[in-house]
Amino acid sequence: MSRWDVAFLSAVKMAMVSVIPSDTDRESTLLRRARAGDPAAFRTLFERHAPAVWRFLRDLLRDEAAADEATQETFVRAHGRLSALRDGDRLGAWLLGIARNVYLETRRRRGMTHVDVDDEAHEGQVEAVLPTPSPEDLLLDRELEGLLAEALGALREERRAALLLRIDHGLPYEEIASVMGWSLPKVKNEIHRARLQLRERLADHVGGHS
Amino acid sequence: MNAPCPEHPLEALLAGELPFDEAERVQHHVDSCAACTQSMAWLKLERGWMAQRARRAPHRRALDFSALEARLASAQALRARTQGRWSHQGKMALGAIAALLFIVFNVTQQLPPTPAEDAWGLEAWSVPAGETCVDPTREAVAAIEARVGACLVATPVVLSIAR
Ligand SMILES: [Zn+2]
Repeated sequence: MSRWDVAFLSAVKMAMVSVIPSDTDRESTLLRRARAGDPAAFRTLFERHAPAVWRFLRDLLRDEAAADEATQETFVRAHGRLSALRDGDRLGAWLLGIARNVYLETRRRRGMTHVDVDDEAHEGQVEAVLPTPSPEDLLLDRELEGLLAEALGALREERRAALLLRIDHGLPYEEIASVMGWSLPKVKNEIHRARLQLRERLADHVGGHS
Repeated sequence: MNAPCPEHPLEALLAGELPFDEAERVQHHVDSCAACTQSMAWLKLERGWMAQRARRAPHRRALDFSALEARLASAQALRARTQGRWSHQGKMALGAIAALLFIVFNVTQQLPPTPAEDAWGLEAWSVPAGETCVDPTREAVAAIEARVGACLVATPVVLSIAR
């Protein structure tokens, strides 16, 4: 096992212990119970998914208090629409889809306009020479975390949403297409571009600071 | 210049989404391709960072179920009220439709049949002579009719029968 693998696996595993719920109940069982009106089942689903929904909304709205409100609104809507969820649907993707609609409504209501820092003209030059990260770069200190948040915030909103659905929430491309209402090629293209933009913005802090 | 290798298979490899054979093939390529080795390093970095970031997300009061319960209760009450209102309004609407149908039925029973409905009905044959001139412009032409000594406006058929 390489130095990379050891560092990578420990970083991801450590994080996953606290991110993925240890509850052994199968989600589909919980969902069936919640649909039948079992409040305890809905509560478990909320506790499992609310942190991810909140994080997604925080990253879109870039405002923690607004994310609080939008997260609650997402679950109120989800609760009212549980019967619309089909058995094969994945709850996580479904909730993030509702969250995205809540975000769009919040943005409209507040008259928020996103400043697209990365304009189309800039995109063509993204494939600049990038450094190769080393395992030491895996450590996300506070400063780097701030820079990462800034780099994400600089992405066009839709592109940021798609990238986060993939790299933070682990949605398959097909589910991202469904949440975003895009074709599969568009999802792949947008996520690829988002990644390149993110890397370019963070390049100075990676790979021995070359 | 070669086209850059697509990153999608690397990402799938990292996420454990590839079948064994495919994973081996992609890994073999990565081992011999500098560009993919670099891409792979970035992908690992990205995943590692996002995982740490998720773990550090602050605990918010909004993420306690108790904070949501009050909102759920009021949303449910609102839904119940709305459904109740619709149900009440539905009954009201049914009542109104029934009343309307009753009125329409009665009115149609009292109205003389329209020509289209009963052009050849017996009633047309028994209309009194005095009622043949029912045109609203009757007053306007009354003087002329008086002078000519004939009804100028009424339906010729009825007029001829009445005569
Ligand atoms: Zn390659």
